[in-house]
Amino acid sequence: MKLVYLAIFLLLVLCAHAQNDDETIFDEFTLNIGDRIEIGNYRILFIEVQSEKDGLAILGVSKPGGTLDEQRVMLVNNANTFDGGAEEGGLTITVEEIFDDQTAKVRVEHKENMGTARKRVSEGPKIAKNVPNLIVKKNLDKGRLTVGEDVKVTVTVKNIGTGTASSIQLEDLPPLSEFTFLAGYPPKIKDKLEPEESDSAIYVMTAVNDGSVKVPSIQVKYKDSKENQKSNNSAPFDLIIDPKSKPQLNIEMVPSGPLPAGGQGLLNISIANIGRASATKIKIESDIEPSVGFEAIGLDKTFFEIPPGKIESYSAQLIGKNSGNYTIILRAAYSSSEESMLSEMQTEIVVLEREYKYLYLLLIIPIMAIAVWILKRYREYKY
Amino acid sequence: MLNVLMLGIGQCGNRILDAINKEAFGGSMINKYCFGPKFPSRVDTLAINTAINDLKELRFTLAKDRLHVPNLHGVGANRYNGKQAFWDNRDMIMEEIEKRGDIDITFVITSTSGGTGSSFSPLLIQELKRRYRKICVIIVAVLPFREEGAIYLQNAAFSIRELMEAEADGLILVDNQYLKRYSGDIASAYDKINSMVAQRLLFLIDSLDSEMLMVTDLGDFKTVMSGGLCIGTIGFFQSDKKNPSVKSAIENSLKPSNLLYPANVYDDAARAMVIIQGSKEYLEVDEITKEIERLSASAGQVFKGLVVKRGYPKVLSVFTLASVPELESLYAQAARAIQDEKDRKKRAKKQLTDAFAHIEDMDEIY
Repeated sequence: MKLVYLAIFLLLVLCAHAQNDDETIFDEFTLNIGDRIEIGNYRILFIEVQSEKDGLAILGVSKPGGTLDEQRVMLVNNANTFDGGAEEGGLTITVEEIFDDQTAKVRVEHKENMGTARKRVSEGPKIAKNVPNLIVKKNLDKGRLTVGEDVKVTVTVKNIGTGTASSIQLEDLPPLSEFTFLAGYPPKIKDKLEPEESDSAIYVMTAVNDGSVKVPSIQVKYKDSKENQKSNNSAPFDLIIDPKSKPQLNIEMVPSGPLPAGGQGLLNISIANIGRASATKIKIESDIEPSVGFEAIGLDKTFFEIPPGKIESYSAQLIGKNSGNYTIILRAAYSSSEESMLSEMQTEIVVLEREYKYLYLLLIIPIMAIAVWILKRYREYKY
Repeated sequence: MLNVLMLGIGQCGNRILDAINKEAFGGSMINKYCFGPKFPSRVDTLAINTAINDLKELRFTLAKDRLHVPNLHGVGANRYNGKQAFWDNRDMIMEEIEKRGDIDITFVITSTSGGTGSSFSPLLIQELKRRYRKICVIIVAVLPFREEGAIYLQNAAFSIRELMEAEADGLILVDNQYLKRYSGDIASAYDKINSMVAQRLLFLIDSLDSEMLMVTDLGDFKTVMSGGLCIGTIGFFQSDKKNPSVKSAIENSLKPSNLLYPANVYDDAARAMVIIQGSKEYLEVDEITKEIERLSASAGQVFKGLVVKRGYPKVLSVFTLASVPELESLYAQAARAIQDEKDRKKRAKKQLTDAFAHIEDMDEIY
């Protein structure tokens, strides 16, 4: 009896097993271009994404012996059957989602008895053939500008992809408030660029306002052979526009120290042009306050030109006649290319009180003399 | 210019000399340290003493003008010791005087009663006269307070006699007994007397050496001092705003109350010299002449000198006396004192002899 039950059990298990082998199952894979899926005798190859926009991908299905070798453009979420589909013992392949022009998610349905579907990753290049890739750069011929100065902007576009880029358009967003555009704007380049081909456009603009400027990126838009719209941007960068270049004279006066009354000293004067343009026709004039009791010789001077970054130095002789605090005011009148300018600096000179070094002797000597005299008289009368 | 040497002998002489120096300084201690003494002529001073402490007490006399004659600490009012000390140190003393150079007149200022002054002075005058024959030596002799004791009276008596015998050109008496009425206590009396003497002597020197309207000189002074007993004294009066009359000043200078020695000028004067100093407006010639004539009527010879100097009239009268009754009285007192002293000594000696008699013919027994 036991054997009967055991036989019935085994029969049921076998029947159940026979029923499962006929069941349709599915597997999902994320494939890059060139990746394959092997299931039974079928080979499925992900060839390319034909159009991300339209949701079209090309897959090839083949069987050894050449009984099946077919490339088919598959629309996303549309099942494609091969050999009657999974229900008939063939394959049903659906592109579920296209991530980008390289990657897509694929669902493969088949009979369970066909075995387990396996993914074979392609070791070849992932780049799809015939895909353009444009890079764009924007360069200025100067790293630093001055107001009023012209700058040449070069926009370069290069196709580093494998396909031809077409319908190329540049979209530039220049900082309009800081610049005026002289020529070549907006930049234009070829409409079509073959792989490894580049093109550039130049335009010239003038800096009109000083300050730190953020130069925005330039965008290139193009289409590939499949009319896919693509774009790329250059990197933004900062640019400093200096105020309009002009001279600036900085006067520095270093006195040799406080003067004794009736003594002399030196005043070392340095005229430095810390501006960005040459100062010309420099005339240095002095004023002393108060004017009585102090004299300075050699303060006034003229220079024809002081280039930017250069220093002219000279010395003046100071004569302190009376004690007190005196102010020397130096005014440098000079010219730039467009205007006359004036720099002024003042320094204080102290003329010390006359030092009567041995003044105390005026007191001590008479006291000593009187003391000596009294002592002498005392001794004359001391008995 | 007169060359004057002022010798202060003994304690009293030293002090009067110091007062003269003080007077020459204008009486101020500050002047002493700031200025020199202002003597009218070339005046040298020398203080001589055997007591070094007396010399140390002097305040206005230069150290080089103080001569200590070494004889322990003074001679103890003993004129014998004093005389011996002088002889022992005569050369040193005379050498010190010689250092003073030319001398026209010497004032020997001394007390007659002390030890050093009373004993040194007669001998010193003899030496001066022997060495400097031509100089005029005037003694300024100070008589003691009568109550100071027998020895002082005795010394005064003998000293005056010796001074008179020393052939000085004159002796000016200053009587402490007479002058003490000016002050209550002895110390201030001495100071007052010293100051009075100093002032009068300096006035005298000043007058003898000044350009006068009417001249009195050293010769006149010597003539005056040689009159009568060669003993004289000095009167002085300074008028003031209340009474600037020269007549009154002359009269007052001759009054006994303004003399250094009690005398009645109009009765006792032998010769006189009246020196009048003051502003011209006060020097009425008629008044002066009248007063001098009045004095001449009794004194015989009166020299008058007029010094025109700014200020109220000052009158110095110097005169010699024909009689000195007060001196005689002093001698009588001195004689009594000597006799009393003798008697005391005799009694004391007898007492001692009687005491010793108790143990006569006896020996000590132990």
